[in-house]
Amino acid sequence: MTAPRRLRKELVDLQESSLKSFRDIKADDDNLLRWTGLIVPDNPPYNKGAFRIEINFPAEYPFKPPKISFKTKIYHPNIDEKGQVCLPIISTENWKPATRTDQVVQALIALINDPEPEHPLRAELAEEFLKDKKKFVKNAEDYTRKHSEKRPAD
Amino acid sequence: MSGGGEEHEQLKQKARPTSTSPLPGVSSASTSSAAAAAAASVASSGGNGRATPEMKRSAVRSLIQRYFHQLQSGCGNVHCKNTNCASSGKVPPMTPNEVAARALHLFSQDAQLCDGAPIANSPQQDVDMLSPNDSSSSSSNSSTSTITSASTTTTTSTQSQSQSQSQSNAQPQSSMEQSERPLMIIDLVKMPTMGSQATITTTTTTADDSDPCTPTLPSVDFVDAELLEGLYTQCHAADSYERLCQIIDHVFSSVDRLSKSFVCRPGQERQHLESKSNNALNKEQLRQLEGEHDKDEDSTQRTATPTELCPASTAADDSHVAENADEADVDDDDNDEDEPMTQQEQNEEFLHRGTKVDFRGLRHIKRLLFGAPCQTIAEQITSSVIQLADYIRYMRLYRQDSWEQVLHCLVICFDMATNTTANNSVTDMEYLDRVLPKLCHAAAAMPVQAQARLAVIWSEYCADQLHTLLSSCQQQITLQVLLDEESVRENEHIISVTKVLKIVFYANILASVLERPSCRLPLQEVGESEADSSASAVEDGEDLFVYNSLQQPHMPKFAEDPLEKCLQVSYIDCRSPLVPLEEFYNEALSEHIQMHQDYLSYKTLAMESDLGSSHTNYFCFMLYAFILTPATKVDALYYDCRMRMYSERYSSLYSILQNFGQDGQEGARPDLKLTVRRDQLINDALIGLELVAMSNPKDLKKQLVVEFVGEQGIDEGGVSKEFFQLIVEEIFNPAFGMFVQQEETNNMWFNATPFENGAQFTLIGIIIGLAIYNNVILAVNFPMVVYRKLMGYRGTFYDLCDWSPTLYKSLKAMLDYQGHDMEEVFEQTFKISYSNVFGELVEHELVPHGSEVLVGQHNKRLFVNLYSDFLLNVNIQQQFKAFRKGFEMVTDESPLKLLFRPEEIEKLVCGSREFDFVELEHSTEYEGGYTEETQIVQDFWSIVHAMPHESKRKLLEFTTGSARVPVGGLKCLRLLITRHGPDSDRLPTSHTCFNVLLLPEYSSKEKLEERLLKAINYSKGFGML
Repeated sequence: MTAPRRLRKELVDLQESSLKSFRDIKADDDNLLRWTGLIVPDNPPYNKGAFRIEINFPAEYPFKPPKISFKTKIYHPNIDEKGQVCLPIISTENWKPATRTDQVVQALIALINDPEPEHPLRAELAEEFLKDKKKFVKNAEDYTRKHSEKRPAD
Repeated sequence: MSGGGEEHEQLKQKARPTSTSPLPGVSSASTSSAAAAAAASVASSGGNGRATPEMKRSAVRSLIQRYFHQLQSGCGNVHCKNTNCASSGKVPPMTPNEVAARALHLFSQDAQLCDGAPIANSPQQDVDMLSPNDSSSSSSNSSTSTITSASTTTTTSTQSQSQSQSQSNAQPQSSMEQSERPLMIIDLVKMPTMGSQATITTTTTTADDSDPCTPTLPSVDFVDAELLEGLYTQCHAADSYERLCQIIDHVFSSVDRLSKSFVCRPGQERQHLESKSNNALNKEQLRQLEGEHDKDEDSTQRTATPTELCPASTAADDSHVAENADEADVDDDDNDEDEPMTQQEQNEEFLHRGTKVDFRGLRHIKRLLFGAPCQTIAEQITSSVIQLADYIRYMRLYRQDSWEQVLHCLVICFDMATNTTANNSVTDMEYLDRVLPKLCHAAAAMPVQAQARLAVIWSEYCADQLHTLLSSCQQQITLQVLLDEESVRENEHIISVTKVLKIVFYANILASVLERPSCRLPLQEVGESEADSSASAVEDGEDLFVYNSLQQPHMPKFAEDPLEKCLQVSYIDCRSPLVPLEEFYNEALSEHIQMHQDYLSYKTLAMESDLGSSHTNYFCFMLYAFILTPATKVDALYYDCRMRMYSERYSSLYSILQNFGQDGQEGARPDLKLTVRRDQLINDALIGLELVAMSNPKDLKKQLVVEFVGEQGIDEGGVSKEFFQLIVEEIFNPAFGMFVQQEETNNMWFNATPFENGAQFTLIGIIIGLAIYNNVILAVNFPMVVYRKLMGYRGTFYDLCDWSPTLYKSLKAMLDYQGHDMEEVFEQTFKISYSNVFGELVEHELVPHGSEVLVGQHNKRLFVNLYSDFLLNVNIQQQFKAFRKGFEMVTDESPLKLLFRPEEIEKLVCGSREFDFVELEHSTEYEGGYTEETQIVQDFWSIVHAMPHESKRKLLEFTTGSARVPVGGLKCLRLLITRHGPDSDRLPTSHTCFNVLLLPEYSSKEKLEERLLKAINYSKGFGML
């Protein structure tokens, strides 16, 4: 199984660090460049569920940034229906090869917990978030209950 | 009335005892304005006297001046009857000395002074100090004149006495000086160890010089800033600049004397160089990286000849000596190569000898003198320099050291042209307008070696002036073009300024950061070791095309630039020139040049070089391609292609006639005919071209004629245009498998693991070549490095910048990383990976056992260079070689490389990138409540369509992250415009990841426009909005 040396090390490091909010980290058996993991947010309205994400590393990693997508549907202004997310730290403009995956994951978790309606991918959700927070929270909670994965027991 | 006379007498009597220093020798030759000097001496000698005598003295001085000017320039009144006024026409022509003597005489006689005679250079206060009677005019003072004349006789006699005295005084002094001066010059030049002493000598002589009592003028062999400034201050105080002008004329019009002027004192020179090396650290570092230690060796050689180096640097040089000794030990085994190396080193040494011009002093003086209230100084300098330049232009010198002198002079004169004062631009402009053309003639007449030296000196000492020099030259050319639209090509002013521009061009490149190692190394040398031997064997077997590559395609031998050769430098290594190379284009010239005539000169030159005659009077702008706009150069290329086509056609017709009637002998066609079926376009074209390329590659240089089977169109250009368009669409379709589209940039790049063999790439090269050759624009998106490689250069790290911006930025971040924990942070080995066209991960070791070598501070640069080299050269070596061969089969004789830089070739192939925003509008989708009909959406498009090209490009970059049009045009972008809330002050934002533009529903079209322009113009970096 081939993969850049650094990626293998980062995977082991992340698995060993046993983060509370990012667990169940695995690389594909046949492709070390594709990882999956479970985001477990702390803040409402997402703290009732867990969200499966996929991280895709390019062959040129770390000279090109990884891409993140949500496998679990989520009601969030910064994540679109297809699960695509626009995360500044891994944009091509901002990417630094010294950035490690755990930093990327931390940034993602922060974005989930605190949406940034100023840079929405789903403008209608951003508007709802800004104008009618209550309604937004209720919708998001309903959505989370309906679509998200079960949170790990501990 | 008589009071005035008495006053005169009084002050004259007073003046006698005070002026202990002898009065100037009026008769003693060369003083041009003895009167002025006399006044100056009176003023300066009485500097510490009481106020009244000084005031009186200045009154006398001003009176003498008025006489002087009246004699010389006149009062300006055309009806003047005064026999002692130039305006009356009754004053015989006299030398300034005679005028001065006469003025003194008139003063003593209290002769008539015209009313309102212009008192040049005398401040008003001087006049005010005179009693009203005096100032009004002494012409009415006839009654007193007798008295005064009587008294003045005595004065004159004392004057003459003191004159003789002064002469006797001055004689030994000047002789002493004469014996001293040559010594001093030798001191200054030959014995830098005595620098401080020499300085003292200079200052003392300066004092001597400025003392107007000594007739030192013939012995002024040079000037420097200090001397001129001292002189200026004195002249300024004395309010007469004649003496200064005279010295200027004496020095500035002589190569010999000017070349000894403004010489840096040893200490200064060092200072200057030090500060310079600090600024240009980058360049020095690069040089060091290159391991260019021959410079140090040069300097040690120079210590042996003390003319070159200052004593202070000897210590530093000692260490170099030690270093060099070490190096010599190491280099011992290279002894065999020493001989040719020294030749090159000598050249290097010669080029980088630098200049000893004291720029700081020179510029200071230039500002001072040109900023002076008296314009005669500037005029004097101007006319002297013109004289000098004419002399240089027509002189024939063959010794190198005389060119050294000329160089010194030219460096001074050019620097004075570009270094302008802020407050007195009129005199500056005057100098520039009159002197620059002359200087250009002079510089253009120099041999190549001297021109190369000039380029190096400019780049090292006057880099800050290059831009001014360039624009001044451009103005000269434009002006000449406008004056003389008909015969632009014969205008000798334009020609010599163009020649100087070439020196500026190379100075500009030398002054920029150059890429090292140079990417000029031939492609073949690169990765020879890495080239897969089995692959090359296969390629050899499959190579269907008989083609012997020209030694130097796209560049006729005779057109090689001797200056470039001498300097060993090329613009290709210069990624960000100090002055953008586009600024060297001269629009006016390009417009009026009549390219067909210039092409004829070019052809004549080519023919003459074929015949072996080297000397020719033809001037050809094509050899100065930097000054021509791309459009004009395209014309030149067009003529070249047409000429070749006609000559091919002519010879084919001839062969048809010859073979007419012979059985089985089919004469060659006059054109290159391709017959293709629409549904089998690629196959038919490739097979057709393959046949031609295999049997007779020369036929590729005939005019292309395309015929679609079953269609009646006759190809007058339109049919082949369609043919090219169709074939390019197909070939570059990623599904075709020869090229891949790079996700980030939409650029096409060679598929590193193609299904096709090399022959297919050759055919594509032929197609691209045919497109250029037949003047057809193709819609291809190659990264710039392809065009650089087509011109024979290597792809390097800098080329990644537009090949893959992310990769470039990441590698740059890696290079910039300074921490010593690099191995742990990056954990990068010399094994890299990439994904192939099937999306599989492929790994490659940049060095043997690369997976075990970690990248750290010591080898990060090597890693980056090898990585870039692998991606851009090694990985696609076979494909590119085949591609380039095809390209050359068509274009090898076209002067592409002579005329075009790679970025211009791109324009040649692709045309300027026009953005079809109408197409974009049709394919755009809307969300969040917007539709095509929404007012703001309609406003948006009307604003966008009215935008200039550059703003459209920015908008495209703003919304999609790339200014490139994807293959298939803008309609393939699928832009999404989303409502971003109601009217607010927020700027529009975008998600370049998904081509989304977020637009608040602004209240008015004006606001939308304002916000939109602000957003696209100030959006650098992610999330700054």
